[in-house]
Amino acid sequence: MSFEAPHIEYATLSPLLIVFGVALVGVLVEAFVPRRLRYLVQSVLALVGLVAALAATIWVATDLTVRGDGAARGSIVAEGAIAVDGPSVFVWGTLLLLSLISVLLFAERHLDGGLSAFAGQAAALPGTEAERQASTRGLEHTEVYPLMMFAVAGMMLFPASNDLLTMFVALEILSLPLYLLCGLARRRRLLSQEAALKYFMLGAFSSGFFLYGVALVYGFSGSTHLAAIAEAVNGRIGGQGLLLGGIALIAVGMLFKVGAAPFHSWTPDVYQGAPTAVTAFMAACTKIAAFGALLRLFYVAFGSAERDWTPMIWIVAILTMAVGSVFALSQTDIKRMLAYSSVAHAGFLLVGFVGLHEGGEGISSLQSVLFYLVTYGFMTVGAFAVVTLVRDAGGEANHLARWAGLGKESPLVAGIFAFFLLAMAGIPLTSGFTGKWAVFSSAAQGGAWPLVVIAVLLSVVAAFFYLRVIVLMYFSDPVGDAPAVAVPSILTTVTIAIGLAATVVLGILPGPVLDLAADAGAFIR
Amino acid sequence: MLPILAAHFLAAAVAPPLVGWFGRKVFLLLAVVPLASLTWLAAQGPAVVDGDRVEQDVPWVPSLGLEVALAMGPLQWVLALLVTGVGGLVLVYCAWYFHADEPGLTSFSGHFVAFAGAMLGLVLSADLLLLYVFWELTTVFSYLLIGHDPARRGSRAAGMQALVVTTLGGLAMLVGILLVGDAAGSFRVEDVLASPPTGGVAVTAAVLLLAGAVTKSAVVPFHFWLPGAMAAPTPVSAYLHAAAMVKAGIYLVALLSPAFADVAGWRETTLVLGTATMLVGGWRALRQVDIKLLLAYGTVSQLGFLTVVAGTGTRAAAFAALALLLAHALFKATLFLVVGIVDHTAGTRDLRALSGVGRKLPWVAVLACVAGASMAGLPPLLGFTAKESVLAALLDVAHTGDGTGVPAYLGWAVVAGVVAGSALTAAYTLRFLWGAFATKDGVEPSTVTPPGAAAVVPPAVFAALSLLLGFTGGPLTTLLDRHAASFPAGEHAPKLTLWHGVNTALLLTLLSLAVGLLAFAARALVEQVQARLTTPLSAERSYHWAVRGLDRAAVELTGRTQRGSVAIYLSVILLVIVVVPGAALVAALQDPVRWVRWDNVGQPLVAVVVVVAAVLTARARRRLKAVVLVGVAGYGTALLFLLQGAPDLALTQLLVETVTLVVFVLVLRRLPAYFTDRPLHWSRHVRAAIGLLAAVAVASFMLVTGAARTAVPVSDDFATEAVEYGGGKNIVNVTLVDIRAWDTMGELAVLVVAATGVASLIFIETRGMAIRRVREIPYPVSVRKQTTNKSRRVWLPAGRTLAPERRSIIFEVVTRLLFHAIIVLSVFLLFSGHNNPGGGFAAGLVTGLALLVRYLAGGRYELDEAAPVDAGVLIGTGLGVAALSGLAPLAFGGTVLQSAVVDLAVPLIGELHLVTSLFFDVGVYLVVVGLMLDLLRSLGSGIDRQILREERESRAAAPTGGGA
Repeated sequence: MSFEAPHIEYATLSPLLIVFGVALVGVLVEAFVPRRLRYLVQSVLALVGLVAALAATIWVATDLTVRGDGAARGSIVAEGAIAVDGPSVFVWGTLLLLSLISVLLFAERHLDGGLSAFAGQAAALPGTEAERQASTRGLEHTEVYPLMMFAVAGMMLFPASNDLLTMFVALEILSLPLYLLCGLARRRRLLSQEAALKYFMLGAFSSGFFLYGVALVYGFSGSTHLAAIAEAVNGRIGGQGLLLGGIALIAVGMLFKVGAAPFHSWTPDVYQGAPTAVTAFMAACTKIAAFGALLRLFYVAFGSAERDWTPMIWIVAILTMAVGSVFALSQTDIKRMLAYSSVAHAGFLLVGFVGLHEGGEGISSLQSVLFYLVTYGFMTVGAFAVVTLVRDAGGEANHLARWAGLGKESPLVAGIFAFFLLAMAGIPLTSGFTGKWAVFSSAAQGGAWPLVVIAVLLSVVAAFFYLRVIVLMYFSDPVGDAPAVAVPSILTTVTIAIGLAATVVLGILPGPVLDLAADAGAFIR
Repeated sequence: MLPILAAHFLAAAVAPPLVGWFGRKVFLLLAVVPLASLTWLAAQGPAVVDGDRVEQDVPWVPSLGLEVALAMGPLQWVLALLVTGVGGLVLVYCAWYFHADEPGLTSFSGHFVAFAGAMLGLVLSADLLLLYVFWELTTVFSYLLIGHDPARRGSRAAGMQALVVTTLGGLAMLVGILLVGDAAGSFRVEDVLASPPTGGVAVTAAVLLLAGAVTKSAVVPFHFWLPGAMAAPTPVSAYLHAAAMVKAGIYLVALLSPAFADVAGWRETTLVLGTATMLVGGWRALRQVDIKLLLAYGTVSQLGFLTVVAGTGTRAAAFAALALLLAHALFKATLFLVVGIVDHTAGTRDLRALSGVGRKLPWVAVLACVAGASMAGLPPLLGFTAKESVLAALLDVAHTGDGTGVPAYLGWAVVAGVVAGSALTAAYTLRFLWGAFATKDGVEPSTVTPPGAAAVVPPAVFAALSLLLGFTGGPLTTLLDRHAASFPAGEHAPKLTLWHGVNTALLLTLLSLAVGLLAFAARALVEQVQARLTTPLSAERSYHWAVRGLDRAAVELTGRTQRGSVAIYLSVILLVIVVVPGAALVAALQDPVRWVRWDNVGQPLVAVVVVVAAVLTARARRRLKAVVLVGVAGYGTALLFLLQGAPDLALTQLLVETVTLVVFVLVLRRLPAYFTDRPLHWSRHVRAAIGLLAAVAVASFMLVTGAARTAVPVSDDFATEAVEYGGGKNIVNVTLVDIRAWDTMGELAVLVVAATGVASLIFIETRGMAIRRVREIPYPVSVRKQTTNKSRRVWLPAGRTLAPERRSIIFEVVTRLLFHAIIVLSVFLLFSGHNNPGGGFAAGLVTGLALLVRYLAGGRYELDEAAPVDAGVLIGTGLGVAALSGLAPLAFGGTVLQSAVVDLAVPLIGELHLVTSLFFDVGVYLVVVGLMLDLLRSLGSGIDRQILREERESRAAAPTGGGA
């Protein structure tokens, strides 16, 4: 039995490999670089790695081969495991950009007396002597950078997976570091650890269901390759139950990651408990990666079974928008509110996803969802970055009551945050409007009219709670001591500025990015 | 047109810093922008009147179908003139109105100019989407303007109310726009007008679009936000009421009437709601004592009037609507600006406190009277001619329907309503003029400071225009005709003129004026009636109720489903799993499934034991009991493997189960003894039921997947290949060390990480303390050390470190006797594993168990005696050995992890059948032993130490506690 080495297209996969490589080097840095140098080495390494990966992505993007009639570009690489096509590359670029500005948030040390937002020693029990010592000695976990790089690598692999098993592996690569990162907050550690544990437990369950579904689909089609599954689904020779059960179970795993109802319940707890930098990163990037994978899986593999799964997604979409919009109304914590808002956004994205508009007239569903993801990503990272600035003696002041009167205290910060909120509400001339418009119009052209109407109505309710925060900031008097707005270093400033700029530009001149999404073309098979 | 729009927004951007530096005089400079725009617009007048539409298209987002398409016809032209003209003059007025130290003036200036720009954009948009964009912008800016004074709670609430109501309507309108655009295939206004939707879509779209219009224009039942918006500074109110914001709704109705007037529901809605609004507004206005609020209700009334006329959709009505809109803008702007002057100079707006202002400000009073006369519909003002044309149009509709198909009773009801409304208008106009300027008996005359020129010029201009345009009916008729031409010709050709001859319209006007005069004269009586007729039901209250209800519902729902309980979250997820994929699989079970009951009678018996153990586990209250029961289930599984004919698997399962049990017990020392309190909360039973359902679903998944196999299992070939390539008969072991050696390699790494993780959680800093041998531990002072010599041996060296009551001599003796035997057994398992049950993993576990026994018998020092090595070293070595043995074949030209079989004849021992994968297995063995050692050191010794430390601390703390 001869052993044949797999053929790997290293050049095409370079963005992925760079990020993986940086993650591994990061682990070595932890082992061999003296503690006082690690912060600098790790953060620079992460930044440089991401920039390099971004450059490689751009190079790959310009070099994609046109396939067939020109509707799709790219190639299937790594023995059929990974599809590097237009949508993959688009998602990679988005993820890398957002990760870049998230790394800046990770590296911020100006807000909390020269310490990062991460626990000095995660293993020390909260409230013990060991914890105090770790704090006074100025320890910090620079492991967060390699962890984040692993997560980014997983996120990049996830939507590019052309094979269910690769997809599962990617899902785990992206999830496990996030579970850890969630538990590493410096302040309110019990909350953070609880969040991590909840996320892990529920996430483990959903990954299990995903794998279960993979097994069933494999049982139906005899393959884990998306193209082969698509062929089997098209042919439909018996074993319907296996296929439907498999689709449903895989969908559970996917929708969990996306944060869609009724699998959303982890979102508020985890977003609240996790260090805000991590929340920003995962709120934006996980959703992007998961939607990328969701789109590929359902469009490519299960495309011809759309009659079977669209009713399910319709219901999930409506439920998600409703849950996100209504529950956000009653939140008193800014991070929880943003968590529900992200649930609502998942619902709007699902509307775009299930519109199933192929393109031709107007923009395609794929294109609209990709565009929405970009708008969503930047405004989310930006908004969470602002959240890290509003602080009191106990760390971040996340209770909404503490935000009252912020408009007077710090007009600039309040103004920026208000702008992000308006964008999330979908007010014109912000990227939120163009994004919403894109998904709604593609869904409408795909014939999902009733869904679009419901979506528009629910965005009214959603708009309400965003506006309420604006009112609170500008028209309420501060309760007790006014919240202080900490002055960030250049790092957070840059993050916020980029988030803001993207939100403004995509609201006024979304054309170039829309064209990019259009150039991405369809998924290759 | 784009430049003038851009100029507005640019001015808005630079306004705040300018005002910040140079103060309120900058408003005069800012006024240049709208006034210059006005000039440019005026220059387009002749072209517009000639019927040329002024158009400009700038692509914005082509791929989304978004573009900046601007167009100006007569309707847009008139509105644009109003928006810029009123805007510019109000800015001039602002320069007088605000004090220099007014808080928030800088941002106010920006908001105001931006608001004017948004309104201008709204009326110039030729694309419904663009219109929507500006529509929402006016909402946002008006909110900022209304809530201008953040210190006042009322101002904030009012701004919010306006925002919520109008945004709500705006979004409904967006849905309507989407429907219309989809039907027409374009969002261009001209395209929509050319091919309006039909059927059900049209009705839905019409209702949604009207929802946008009525909320914006404060028509019943959304009229309440406008009087609330009186919290805004007076210049804002003047602009909002006269030219902007509320006019947007009317504009939308007027714009779309040509396409939608014949759609079922359009006319009914506009006529009924409009008339109701006119009456409600007028009636409420009569009750107000704040002259500004009085005017606000007057606006509500007038907006209802405008809605009626704009929505009627005949040529005469469209003509009249534009005339009335123009008239209203002029007189309302004058009146609000006058209120501002009175308020600022006399210091109050309460008509009960104002007295003698007319004497002191005669010119202002004259302006107010001219505007008031226009509002009441007195000749020779524009208000009169406009109202005459309205009445004529409505009378046509009532008489013959005028092509609308409106039933006669509705037509006459509308006419009656409008006449009654006009009467109310006349009455509240008088009340306003009287209230603001009259000298009242028993009221101390107000002290008045004279206003500046900037204050008086703007209202004077508007009042003059009201008067002037009353006389220029001819040119105006040409212009308005151009606008109305999009409707089919009606019963009469409309005309604006001061004298139509004596006709029904004139008589009705006279009637309404007379009634109005009467109502004013008998105002005491009217007030009494009004006081009696208060109703608890009001739109405003419903609004508050709805907002509160939504809040309340959200809180309740969140409290019920999102209380942070993982159990609830998981229950939901599991239920969905049971329902959705479960249902799919129930369908799949329809296919016949082949059953084999059992191969062997032992199997069902063991299965029963496992099931019973599992059920009892779930019911157990004591943690220890649950752990033991789980162990029973595990041993049962091992038995099942054995019965199935897999002794190797059974052995491994048995060992793993034992280790698990012991580790559990070690950990349980630090956990509470009981899981739950009894009796169980009802929710636990629900959870149990969900668990059961999930179990059934999972079991059926297994059944279905098991039955779905059509291909030959890949493992069928393992048996022959294991011998041929792997050189061993134990398939499981060969699979581990050869066929799937890469997997094992990965798993080893995972194992190492897990062991490190466990250890690091317990020890935090370093893996364990330094290993301490028993001989290094000093005896307590009180104990006399017995001399040790060759003849005096102990069973276990560390026994003495334990407290006497915790020692068991029998256990120590047995341990001493068994330990070495177990180690030998483990080595045997390691080497025989390739062909017989055993292998590195099992052997490692056995060694681990031997160490465990030593630990249990002799405590933590005994463990160090038994294995005086660092667990990390062991694990690292194991991993290294495995990796090296994997790489070794490369040196001999093989591939990674390839096995070679070497048969050696060794003297004394005999034939030695050596497979190189044994070295890999040794690596596995070392890692497993290391892991076991790690577990024992951390969960055993580590926790021992923690317990000891706590005991010592509590002992140290106890005396002080007792003494206090």
